[in-house]
Amino acid sequence: MLKIINGGIEVLVEDWPGRLGYLGKGMSASGAFDNVGLGLANVLVGNPSGEAGLEITGGFLEAEFTGDHVIALAGTDMQPTINGQPVAMWTALKVSAGDVIKFLHIAPTGFRCYLAVAGGVDVPAYLGSKSTCIFGAYGGFDGRALKPGDEVKFGASSADLSALAGRKLKAEAIPQYSNEWVLRAIPGPNTCPDYATQEGMDLLFSRVSKIQHTSNRSAYRLEELPASFFARADGGVGGSHPSNIIDHAYAIRGALNICGNTPILLVADGPTLGGYMCALNVINADLWKVGQGAPGRDYMQFQLSSQEEAIEERKKQKQWLSEDSLA
Amino acid sequence: MSQGRFDVILDTMPETESRLEVLFRQAGDGFVQVEYGREQRAMLQDSFRMLAVNDIILGKNLKGLIETVPGIRTNLLHFDPEAVDVRGLIDMVKQAEDSMPTIDDVVLKSRLIHLPIAFEDSETKKAVAKYQKEVRPDAPNIIDGYNLEYMAMCNGITAEECKKLILGTDWFNSGGGFWPGGAFLWPTDPRCAIVVPKYNPPRTWTPEGAVGIGGPCVFTYTTPTGGGYQLFGRTIPVFQFACKHPMFKDGPFLYRNADRVRFHEVSEKEVVEIYGHVHDKTDYTYEIDQGEIKAKEYIAWFNSEEVQKGAAELKAKQAEGTKKAPRL
Repeated sequence: MLKIINGGIEVLVEDWPGRLGYLGKGMSASGAFDNVGLGLANVLVGNPSGEAGLEITGGFLEAEFTGDHVIALAGTDMQPTINGQPVAMWTALKVSAGDVIKFLHIAPTGFRCYLAVAGGVDVPAYLGSKSTCIFGAYGGFDGRALKPGDEVKFGASSADLSALAGRKLKAEAIPQYSNEWVLRAIPGPNTCPDYATQEGMDLLFSRVSKIQHTSNRSAYRLEELPASFFARADGGVGGSHPSNIIDHAYAIRGALNICGNTPILLVADGPTLGGYMCALNVINADLWKVGQGAPGRDYMQFQLSSQEEAIEERKKQKQWLSEDSLA
Repeated sequence: MSQGRFDVILDTMPETESRLEVLFRQAGDGFVQVEYGREQRAMLQDSFRMLAVNDIILGKNLKGLIETVPGIRTNLLHFDPEAVDVRGLIDMVKQAEDSMPTIDDVVLKSRLIHLPIAFEDSETKKAVAKYQKEVRPDAPNIIDGYNLEYMAMCNGITAEECKKLILGTDWFNSGGGFWPGGAFLWPTDPRCAIVVPKYNPPRTWTPEGAVGIGGPCVFTYTTPTGGGYQLFGRTIPVFQFACKHPMFKDGPFLYRNADRVRFHEVSEKEVVEIYGHVHDKTDYTYEIDQGEIKAKEYIAWFNSEEVQKGAAELKAKQAEGTKKAPRL
């Protein structure tokens, strides 16, 4: 078990691929914002890569273990310590009852850190997933972020703890972080010539845009697009702005919603349906990068991809998030 | 088809007498959007057909199809591209479309849910008062502390007439989304099709069970949340996170696609008592009839002289009302 001393900025229980199959019921998938971070941490401690762990955003979590466990930390380096001693990222670590783990703030790159524990985080699955949907306040740990006094239970490890401790990743398996994230994306469903201009789409796929500080687990907002982006004068019956259309379901996670002139990436907890056009989708295998993008600091750029490449990348990612990545 | 870098239409089916053109639009590596027609229009007959096709698609239990998410004129298919390829998926939808060649073939399973409603109840009045105090003190859509008079004004009718129209039609669920358990309910009778603008800016709080209208759609709020629809009353729970009541044993949702809702007026006391019987005692019995919608019959009724005359009369009143009602 883990007793929370300080919940920090935001710590959530998340798994992967999250709560699938409820978009039509108004429930997005939620899930780990960076599934690569969670996946690699899980591999290190011998869990299936999608097992639930703790998603630590921003930093400052402080908590005490009440038993012997093996954990791993993956993601941005928040200078974690156990009982005041620095500990390694991307490594399976043995912890004992009474050990206090403490995180500082985010590194110059990356925004989220994942804590996986052998046996996984033990919260009841809701509609097939242990993920927290923070905007709807359901799933995970009582549908909310962890706070002081919370006691987070862990499952039993299937492997012998002493065999797990010390496991490391191959150097090439550790993801490369940046302040300028290149996201491969597939255009659609609303592009040129009917909704956007060719010039507008070219701009969308070439410019570098800062992640706005108003971004969160539902929406990552980017810089405004010029009026020349739109091919229509208005949205007809859908509304007065050319970004308006009659409500349609959003292809989340990963759809880029054009809301007025503001492009918004709809991510983990995003809305499942609405009245704005969508110009592209980030490929599933690149969604993790969005989760490591720091609002107000990092930049994003879209790079044209294809369905074929996206499927290839899904397969590669499965391989990446497996024991093949262990050193 | 052109071969532009941003060409996203993967395939099409031509328009027929009983169906609009079908467009298959690329929407990432795990989704494809099926769009009906190129024009932005909201017609229930399009939705009836699409949902009937959707039932056929779901009935095939295709491996790799995760879910379908119908809107009023689009259906989003969510799939695992490692289990089924997009080409196979499109071919399956085409087969489903072709299996309903005429309008006579379009028969849609549709339950009729009877929901009690208390107009102008004290809980939704609290939400309006909170909005006026904390968000927009000069909101022109609040008259005598509520939205009903403004709704009536927009439609060129009285508040009493407004209530009669809400009670006088069945409200069709074209598909859920946006908020957990939510459904977008459209009037089936065009003679009752009131239309109102949405709040500007939105509310920060709405009670569970609040009933509101925005544009042409009614929404019954499933949990306390913000919102932008004009409020006129409160109904009973249509969602239960805890899944305690037998109605919610398979999931927290009451509504299914293609359900129709019919409201009947009761006292606020009665509505409030039902909350206890749904959430605590779990012994309330929901009144739900099984049924179906035959598209051909609906279209004939919709196009009949009597219905069209009544619809035109309401439209004329709305045109007058829109001139008088302040914009939000």
